[in-house]
Amino acid sequence: MAGKGLKSLSEAMRGLSLASQPCSRILPLARPSPFLISSSRRSIATAEASTFAPSTPAPVPNITRSVTEPWQPTTEIPLTIYSFPSLEPRRLETWSSKHLYLPLRRDILHLAVVYEGDKTRQGTALAKTRWEVHGSHKKLFKQKGTGRARRGSKQSPLLRGGGKAHGPRPRDFSTKLNRKVYDLAWRTALSYRYRRGELIVTEDGLELPLPDDFLQLAEVGALARELEDGFVKKYVGEVLQGLEWGKENGRTTFITGDRRPNLFTGMEAAGENGRAMLLEDVDVKDLLETGRLVIERSALKEMIKEHQSDLVSNVVINGKRAAGPAGSGKVLVG
Amino acid sequence: MPPRLPLAQAAQVARCCRVSPLETTSTTSLTSLFAALSVQTRSASILANLSDNRGAYHKRIRVGRGPSSGYGKTSGRGTKGQKARSTINPWFQGGQTPLIISHGRKGFVNHLAPVMSELNLDRLQEFIDARRIDATKPITPRELILSGVLGKGFKDGIKLLARGKTSIKTPINILVSRASAAAIEAIEAAGGKITTRYYTKESLRRLVYGKSVSTDKPLPVGPEHVEAVLEEARAAKKHYYRLPDPTSRWDIEYYRDPAHRGYLSHMLKPGESPSLYFKVPGEKAAFVKKSKGKKTTDAADLEEKLF
Repeated sequence: MAGKGLKSLSEAMRGLSLASQPCSRILPLARPSPFLISSSRRSIATAEASTFAPSTPAPVPNITRSVTEPWQPTTEIPLTIYSFPSLEPRRLETWSSKHLYLPLRRDILHLAVVYEGDKTRQGTALAKTRWEVHGSHKKLFKQKGTGRARRGSKQSPLLRGGGKAHGPRPRDFSTKLNRKVYDLAWRTALSYRYRRGELIVTEDGLELPLPDDFLQLAEVGALARELEDGFVKKYVGEVLQGLEWGKENGRTTFITGDRRPNLFTGMEAAGENGRAMLLEDVDVKDLLETGRLVIERSALKEMIKEHQSDLVSNVVINGKRAAGPAGSGKVLVG
Repeated sequence: MPPRLPLAQAAQVARCCRVSPLETTSTTSLTSLFAALSVQTRSASILANLSDNRGAYHKRIRVGRGPSSGYGKTSGRGTKGQKARSTINPWFQGGQTPLIISHGRKGFVNHLAPVMSELNLDRLQEFIDARRIDATKPITPRELILSGVLGKGFKDGIKLLARGKTSIKTPINILVSRASAAAIEAIEAAGGKITTRYYTKESLRRLVYGKSVSTDKPLPVGPEHVEAVLEEARAAKKHYYRLPDPTSRWDIEYYRDPAHRGYLSHMLKPGESPSLYFKVPGEKAAFVKKSKGKKTTDAADLEEKLF
């Protein structure tokens, strides 16, 4: 309990340090919070992200704000698009803060995760009642005169081999959640990852390059199945551990629009270091589970497009409906 | 293996970003303290620390599940009597002959009565101002339903009411099922035009889904129109359902009435009443005179013959 309270407080402080400079021209990532960096166990991806930020001196955050000064919250945030696996920054884009910089709402995330969990329950548990248990319903012996307890049928719940009185029946456990709340949870989860530097966006066509000589050998069929898997597992493990994305660093989730053969088979082989998922299979819980997300740009774009019902109006004006916040995916540099 | 930045170098780069001494003194005294605390849990998933807001859930009261629950023995129903054991009918009056016995049930619910979507003038004007309804074109039920001004779903028709009748400023050309007298007056005072037309739920649905074409003309009746209508239907690439006309007396009379701006009101001859039952006295006499004239002459002849 106490740990949780402290954690929320520290997150609140973190949020304060970012949100408290409304009028600063500098974008949030460009001025990383000092304590975020001071941690010696930073993931390398975020450290790289900070290296590409302009090294201008950070402005003094003015916690107190004049009343006459209009409050202008950040509407756009920077997003670096990397190549994979070299992690070279290829582009700097601006994305809407309503897409990737929402405040952390643990309650909304909780609602979404519970909703997904309920929805995924199979609900197929079934125990036979006394009427479903096979056998004759004949009275076992006469009512009186045997000296035994009276028995009406063999399937009575009181007897061994009898039916279950109040056993599980197949049912639907799914609960409901308003679409707008669920969509907010998606973007809150992405924002949480973004803010912690755990959202790595790559160029489209995210794929794991395997060594050429291995591919040649595999194509010829010189390697047995086990040998092939063993090599891929070791190779992927080394790549991920080299990036500090592996098992010791909380594993990594790769998200792509369609199945990439090397990446998916590689991550299946090296499952202890992470996993690869198709966009359509991802849900909010998946976004929160592992140490970081690596997602290709088009998949992120599609994900946000699918989950912005609370931003997109359903009011039609002049035959058009108002779109969500513009400005996600505008290229700044690159 | 992909290139990576050594940790020490990364930390140095990060450190050079925060140079302002003011910042470190003013803000980090507390934040760094808490940040240092949160370092220990940084690789843990947030999933373990999710919960809904305090008070968002109410625990269900489980009645009759033991004394420690507070609702154990009598389950919150007190002791003894009919209320403790079962329910009492809402009409029960303590033993006195209930009203429902002495007087019986009154009235009935007409399940066949058409249910109208009500549209008030102030709301209509708001939608026009917000450009959610285009007032430069005729406003038909299709536009009204698609704009969302009537809410979800289809009802049996649309009735225009006069709440906020002073707010209507735009001259509009509107087609609805019914309209109140004050609403008609307000729209025409603003320079607009209103027509009422017979609609059913199905015809509204077809208009919205593009299976019918909106019109304020009734179906042509008579053998002379058959060929023209067929010709038009053959020429059309798509089949359109025609909008129905009223068949019940009440509806026909409503749309024949010029006071309702009914779409059948042009059928009225000068001086004719919209009522199908009450005839104009003069006209009735003329009609009767023609047939009765003969009879009267016959009668006169008879009389002459008889007497």
